[in-house]
Amino acid sequence: MLSIKVVNLSKHFKNTVAIRQLNFEFAASRVTCLLGPSGCGKTTLLRIIAGLESPTSGDIYFGDERVNDLSTSRRNIGMVFQYPVVYRGISVYRNIELPLLREKIPASERKKRVTDVIDLLGLGEVADKDITQLDNASRQKVAMARAIARQPKIILFDEPITNVDTSSKLVLKRALKEVMQQLKQTIIYVTHDQTEAMTLADQIVLMKDGEIVQCDEPRKLYLQPESTFGGWFLGNPGMNFFEGECAQAEGKSMVKAPLFPAPLLLDEAYTGDRITIGIRPEHIKVAASPSAGSVRGKVVDNLITIGGQRLLTVEVNDQRIKAKVDHKLGSSLRDQVWLELPLDRIMLFDRDGSRIHRKFAGFRAG
Amino acid sequence: MAKSVRQSLYYVLLWLISIAFFLPVLWIFLAAFKTKEQILAIPPKWIFTPTFENISNMFSGMNFEKYAVNSVIISLSAVVIAIIVSFFASYSFSRYKPKGTDFLMFLLLSMRMVPGAAVVVPIYLMYTALGWKDTYYGIILLYAMFSIPFSVWILKGFIDGVSLRYDETALVNGGSRMHVMFRVILPQVKPGLVAAFIFNIIFVWNEFLFNFIIGGKKVTTIPVALATGLYKTHGVDWTFIASLSLVYMLPLILMIYFFQRYLLVGMTFGTVRGEV
Repeated sequence: MLSIKVVNLSKHFKNTVAIRQLNFEFAASRVTCLLGPSGCGKTTLLRIIAGLESPTSGDIYFGDERVNDLSTSRRNIGMVFQYPVVYRGISVYRNIELPLLREKIPASERKKRVTDVIDLLGLGEVADKDITQLDNASRQKVAMARAIARQPKIILFDEPITNVDTSSKLVLKRALKEVMQQLKQTIIYVTHDQTEAMTLADQIVLMKDGEIVQCDEPRKLYLQPESTFGGWFLGNPGMNFFEGECAQAEGKSMVKAPLFPAPLLLDEAYTGDRITIGIRPEHIKVAASPSAGSVRGKVVDNLITIGGQRLLTVEVNDQRIKAKVDHKLGSSLRDQVWLELPLDRIMLFDRDGSRIHRKFAGFRAG
Repeated sequence: MAKSVRQSLYYVLLWLISIAFFLPVLWIFLAAFKTKEQILAIPPKWIFTPTFENISNMFSGMNFEKYAVNSVIISLSAVVIAIIVSFFASYSFSRYKPKGTDFLMFLLLSMRMVPGAAVVVPIYLMYTALGWKDTYYGIILLYAMFSIPFSVWILKGFIDGVSLRYDETALVNGGSRMHVMFRVILPQVKPGLVAAFIFNIIFVWNEFLFNFIIGGKKVTTIPVALATGLYKTHGVDWTFIASLSLVYMLPLILMIYFFQRYLLVGMTFGTVRGEV
């Protein structure tokens, strides 16, 4: 199977830079999600890989073959777009079969391929129906089936489940997951929805402003973001950030921050004078009574979120911080709470938002 | 109560106007089955024994078959050529958006706005110089040329209404441009094609001036035959006019009746968009 490699890839539109100097290799036979906010260049990157846009500079390789000059139709890919593209006036079966009619394969093989994908995506009941009788989610399944049936080496998904209603989303997501597990193709999946990326991807490429911010497997990306952007973008809500002052004392680096009762020591020296401290809302320990290492805060807001959790907004020394607690605890809390930030869950970033690979070793004695 | 009375009055008025408009057509239709005396009778004879003599006369000695065949061949081939060319043109205008598309589109339509009488002399001179006078290809190409602007307008509207994702899906699925155009786009714009076809066939079928001037004996169509056969040695040949008018109008009326839903779609210039 083929890996996809982009080298020094740039794409400029009239006044904007969509992609800048990108170097990346999409692993063969794996599902890679391109994740990022709207306008980060992920769709453009996908379209360049598909050959629907040509790069301003840089190269694209499928395996060892440079494909810059290869037309879209000869790249042997399948692609599913945001809107379900179906051909009206013909049946579901014919819709899936249409691109296969151009391939030089015997009719029996063609039939097998079509029925295989129909089974795989559970379209059996509607196969003979006219496409216009289907809802958006099923139409999108048909579009997927059509992309898969040709058995291309690479399949590209461009936000395929963004435009279906919430309940169908789940169905489609499950179908996709199943399909992706069965296929051994190289799959690139573009989305701005983190839960999609988390469920479907083998690895996630986080993009921002035309650049790759981080590439990791979903869990690692979530727990150890390499930038404040990653921490903020992933999670609902994203990471809490607050500033700390960094100073040197007795040959060690020391951080003072409003959410800690005492200054903290870093495990290794850090020379900057400011440091950004990040922690995920669900990692914060909230209690109704004080304990060692906790600070007092005032509950500003107490919301119920999906999944029986409560989202608290707590004010500590003029800093607002969000914390997720379970429902029982959340509803029992009064205005006054004590927060404790487990040191091993804290991520540290520099001024520009890049991660600093240091840890808090503990509170300074005295 | 007052409202429904007023409404019925409106309907009566509308019906009266419609009948006034339709009366000449009805008169000529009925005349096709009357003898000359019955046609000219005053007061008009509404009840009469129909005769098929006029129709059968057309087939004997009046070259009717030739005119009819000419009309059919010329209009069909001109419109088919026009639609093929227009489909390619409008696809390109819609998808590749060459520089100055808007201006070109305006230019195309303005060609259709030029009154025939204004260009008939230069075209006559051109056709005599080229030796295309009284030839099938000459007259067919002329009509095709006149039919293209409007067809491009209609079809471009329809193709604009088909999302670019259709093209892209077909392309990534390994299709060529021709595959995209004919297997993917064409079926989506079928109503547009039918509408363009009908509008143009009405134009070409009814066209008189150019066939009269740059046509000749060989390519005479029904409207020209109708006009030139008007007078015989002993006055206006009413039975001929009536019977020829009948067979002349019938095909178009039938066609419009069967395709009227496409005509409606066509008149909205492809503003009926797909969901994508």
